[in-house]
Amino acid sequence: MLKILLPTLMLIPTAWLVPGKWLWPTTLLHSLIIALISLTWLTNLSEVGWSSLGSYLATDALSTPLLVLTCWLLPLMLLASQNHTASEPINRQRMYVTLLTSLQFFLILAFGATEVIMFYVMFEATLIPTLILITRWGNQAERLNAGTYFLFYTLAGSLPLLVALLLLQNNAGSLSLLTLAYSPPMQLTTYGDKLWWAACLLAFLVKMPLYGVHLWLPKAHVEAPVAGSMILAAVLLKLGGYGMMRMLTILEPLTKELSYPFIIFALWGVLMTGSICLRQTDLKSLIAYSSVSHMGLVVGGILIQTPWGFSGALILMIAHGLTSSALFCLANTNYERTHSRTMVLARGLQMVLPLMTAWWFIASLANLALPPLPNLMGELMIIVSLFNWSWWTLALTGAGTLITAGYSLYMFLMTQRGQLPTHITALEPSHSREHLLMALHLLPLILLVLKPELIWGWTA
Amino acid sequence: MSPFILATLLFALGLGTMITFASSHWLLAWMGLEINTLAILPLMAQHHHPRAIEATTKYFIAQATAAAMLLFASATNAWLTGQWDIQLMTHPLPVTLITLALALKMGLAPMHSWLPEVIQGVDFTTGLVLSTWQKLAPFVLLLQLQPTNSTLLLALGTASTLVGGWGGLNQTQLRKILAYSSIAHLGWMTIVLQFSPSLALLTLIVYFTMTFSAFLMFKLNNSTNLNSLAISWTKAPVATALAPLVLLSLGGLPPLTGFMSKWLILQELTKQDLMPLATLLALSALLSLYFYLRLAYSLTLTVSPNTLIGTTPWRHPTSHLTLLLSTSTVATVFLLPITPAIVTLFSLLGT
Amino acid sequence: MTPVHFTFSSAFMLGLTGLTFHRTHLLSALLCLEGMMLSLFVALSLWALQLSSISFSASPLLLLAFSACEASAGLALLVATARTHGSDRMQSLNLLQC
Repeated sequence: MLKILLPTLMLIPTAWLVPGKWLWPTTLLHSLIIALISLTWLTNLSEVGWSSLGSYLATDALSTPLLVLTCWLLPLMLLASQNHTASEPINRQRMYVTLLTSLQFFLILAFGATEVIMFYVMFEATLIPTLILITRWGNQAERLNAGTYFLFYTLAGSLPLLVALLLLQNNAGSLSLLTLAYSPPMQLTTYGDKLWWAACLLAFLVKMPLYGVHLWLPKAHVEAPVAGSMILAAVLLKLGGYGMMRMLTILEPLTKELSYPFIIFALWGVLMTGSICLRQTDLKSLIAYSSVSHMGLVVGGILIQTPWGFSGALILMIAHGLTSSALFCLANTNYERTHSRTMVLARGLQMVLPLMTAWWFIASLANLALPPLPNLMGELMIIVSLFNWSWWTLALTGAGTLITAGYSLYMFLMTQRGQLPTHITALEPSHSREHLLMALHLLPLILLVLKPELIWGWTA
Repeated sequence: MSPFILATLLFALGLGTMITFASSHWLLAWMGLEINTLAILPLMAQHHHPRAIEATTKYFIAQATAAAMLLFASATNAWLTGQWDIQLMTHPLPVTLITLALALKMGLAPMHSWLPEVIQGVDFTTGLVLSTWQKLAPFVLLLQLQPTNSTLLLALGTASTLVGGWGGLNQTQLRKILAYSSIAHLGWMTIVLQFSPSLALLTLIVYFTMTFSAFLMFKLNNSTNLNSLAISWTKAPVATALAPLVLLSLGGLPPLTGFMSKWLILQELTKQDLMPLATLLALSALLSLYFYLRLAYSLTLTVSPNTLIGTTPWRHPTSHLTLLLSTSTVATVFLLPITPAIVTLFSLLGT
Repeated sequence: MTPVHFTFSSAFMLGLTGLTFHRTHLLSALLCLEGMMLSLFVALSLWALQLSSISFSASPLLLLAFSACEASAGLALLVATARTHGSDRMQSLNLLQC
């Protein structure tokens, strides 16, 4: 663990000490090396249990894909942010790199923690860099509102979780993830126990986000700079799914009865947010709502608690992390050229940025879960496990997939095809930096088709 | 003010608190409190302008009433039980009265309403003394009382955290916001006081560190309300960049130092089977967090439009001593990882 | 509760009630405070008399000294308030409200 953590920490002095003109190349290379080293975690997956075990940190089959995704995202964020921070003073650029690095540091600690309280502290610790990223580097004045929503939704969900965890600590005597799964099942019968169950899951459901408590997410996505949107969609939402998978093993006897309304609500949310996407005019907001819709499916897969449900949820989380991050990058390339997120104002971009259209095409297809991609595998596993639970869910999930295909197509056609509006003829051509960025997003996704066991978690 | 007089007053200020610390007799404790109050009054009123005088008057009335109530309660105790000793309070009536008197002295809700106005009327240094050093003597007396009034302390503490959060929401004046933050933090300490005195002491010290940092930062920027914060990055860029962390630490967000005390208090409360209260307290911290967040927004996270000339005061050498500020800021931000050491230290102090 | 106890308690409570509810003049507040201190003086001196012990007989004097200091500080503040606010009415002490 430390061989990743320490280089990540050392990225901060690097960012402050290198000469200004080498800031972005150096940090990019440094973080890319970290990401490549982090790939070695994947080799331990053949064993079932924990590996890289230290006194506080370890990886297992569930956390490894998320850890690698976290490390992978930092170079991509650095690549994506170079253009829009170029006009800032050099010290602010260094500060920006520092923030992104600290975010990765906290995320690695969160995913690697073997103690639930440490996971909780790091889960919360990611709030501060993200908040500063949204409210300091966002563009519109509404970013302050978005930051407040982000902070207070998350905290209002997670403070009951802290009390619930402390209570568990008093009852079980330990919060170590290594042993908690083997502790004897608790007698959960009273009304208070049900509240405790809800408190344990609420924080993660807000973070995912479940439909109904999702209002902070589109705001945060729309107002955040591109790196904020990327990390938010790719990794921060996955903290919720990861936490839920970890907690559900503890909450065992009650989950079966209490999770039904949440499953139905999540699936209903898939439909609802998908429909919202269909009538969205704002590009980033569309991608954000599509994240909520996919995460609804993940919530359903996790709460159903079958091995296929868990695997499907993990696969979908990783695949969605890469896909939605790629989509946000694409949206940002449009935004940097047209300075507008409104889709009607930037149509027919195939005429001016033809190669970008190829990337849009692949990313949209990944978003609507085209057959060989891991997205489809995840969705299919979740849908099958839900179908096994109740036949009626097929109506919801089937309609959800249909709507997903619909809005992905809508997004692609709206931005790429058709006549070019007259006001955007003189666009900057796409940079090779942007192509590299998209390739680094989509190549892993395509390569995962060949070896999906890297990301399917415990079902080895 | 002449330095000799200042030295005398500061000496008396320390002496009063020390007498209270050292006393086991209520009369002596009362004398310490009186010396303390009498010493701070000239310090508060040293700048002769109406707001300082008004603040001093209000402070005087509140403190004198509280001290008189304290002495009355201990005289009642003497008449009822024949005992003047602080640690041997057995009768519930004097204990309740004394708790209320000390709550008035510290500014716990619902006896808090003098505190924001008094702090608003004095300058930052005196305000810092008022919200840190002046809390020590009553706090130590409260610590020494036998915990026979658990419900009263819980009620005072909960009311304080809620009022501290609620009252600050509507404020634009920094010193009032800091006063409400002081009320809220004192509420946390009061709640945990009867379960774990060493933890209450730890919370007090952590609160001192954080509020020290916040007061010094505002003093450095010389800004007294929300609007004037917007140009503080032109005066001290690095301090301004760190300011959101200090404020969020006051709000108790992990991984900053402020989370340590909240975490330990919540843990203690769950050990005492007070889950609903713990959840209520945790959520009341969100109220306070809202105004800290608003401070952070106007301080750092937005940049006001400026003329070119207005952006360079940080180039001038400053006459402020920034060593204290930097030390306390580092302590405010980075102490959470050494929580076990700090807890051990304070539990050793407690025994 | 002995009669003496009742007497000084009610005197103190009367002073406290006056301080709390009669908020027109600063001077009246100071007078109420002084009344409270005097009732405490009575309490302490009667306690010392009742015990007829030498060791406690200094305490009423200490109390009196401190309350005199406090009263003089209060009067000084009264003068200062009169100079800055123009009167000693409590209602005029409203600069810091909001």
